[in-house]
Amino acid sequence: MIERTVTIGSKSGLHARPAAIFVKSAKGFQSQITLSKNDKTVNGKSLLSLLTLGAGQGDPVVLKADGDDAESAISRLASLLEEDLG
Amino acid sequence: MTRINVLAPLDGLVVELESVPDEVFAQKMAGDGVAINPTGHIAIAPIAGDLVKLFPGGHAFGIATQDGIELIVHIGLDTVELKGEGFENIATEGQKVQVGTPIVRFDRAAIERLGKEIVSPIVSSGEGTVVWRATGTVRAGQDVLFILEI
Repeated sequence: MIERTVTIGSKSGLHARPAAIFVKSAKGFQSQITLSKNDKTVNGKSLLSLLTLGAGQGDPVVLKADGDDAESAISRLASLLEEDLG
Repeated sequence: MTRINVLAPLDGLVVELESVPDEVFAQKMAGDGVAINPTGHIAIAPIAGDLVKLFPGGHAFGIATQDGIELIVHIGLDTVELKGEGFENIATEGQKVQVGTPIVRFDRAAIERLGKEIVSPIVSSGEGTVVWRATGTVRAGQDVLFILEI
């Protein structure tokens, strides 16, 4: 299991568009993906669950990946979270 | 296999998701479904369940059911940027909803005046496959918008 703390880069936070782009990418990895903010942890492959985090721009979130491709998942997904995806 | 009716959350004209001018919705990255070009002012719950997400700015909400169905209603495009202008939340995030529970009041004219496209995607992001979808005009809470098979 690998984890990394990243800062949300999208200017309107993790709303529908950036979250959908994240989920599409996350589903391409075999690893189990979770995202946590404060003490709430959600499935990184579920769009609606991601939206419930209510993560705003600049918020730190903890990204975790567990599986054979965890390393590449973390590196790809962390960069998506840090980008401004609109 | 169970078939579950998702009712129209808005009055209006059904539009194919593929024609929505936002690639995330048009390419079904957020899920399969349809869009509505709305004529009314109130968005209601299209299915019974938990209102797990209602954006503070009212531009979108999501309902989850015990079967693992997740529906997202997104009123207009890029409307997150309006930060609530043109929207007024009626429901409260976390509450249980029935089909027809009013969720958000919105002002189409104000949203368009602020430069946003009003076409509103309704997508299934959880369990189930869309096996039928409405065309033409739909009435909120009365007409089936699409059918999910799970």
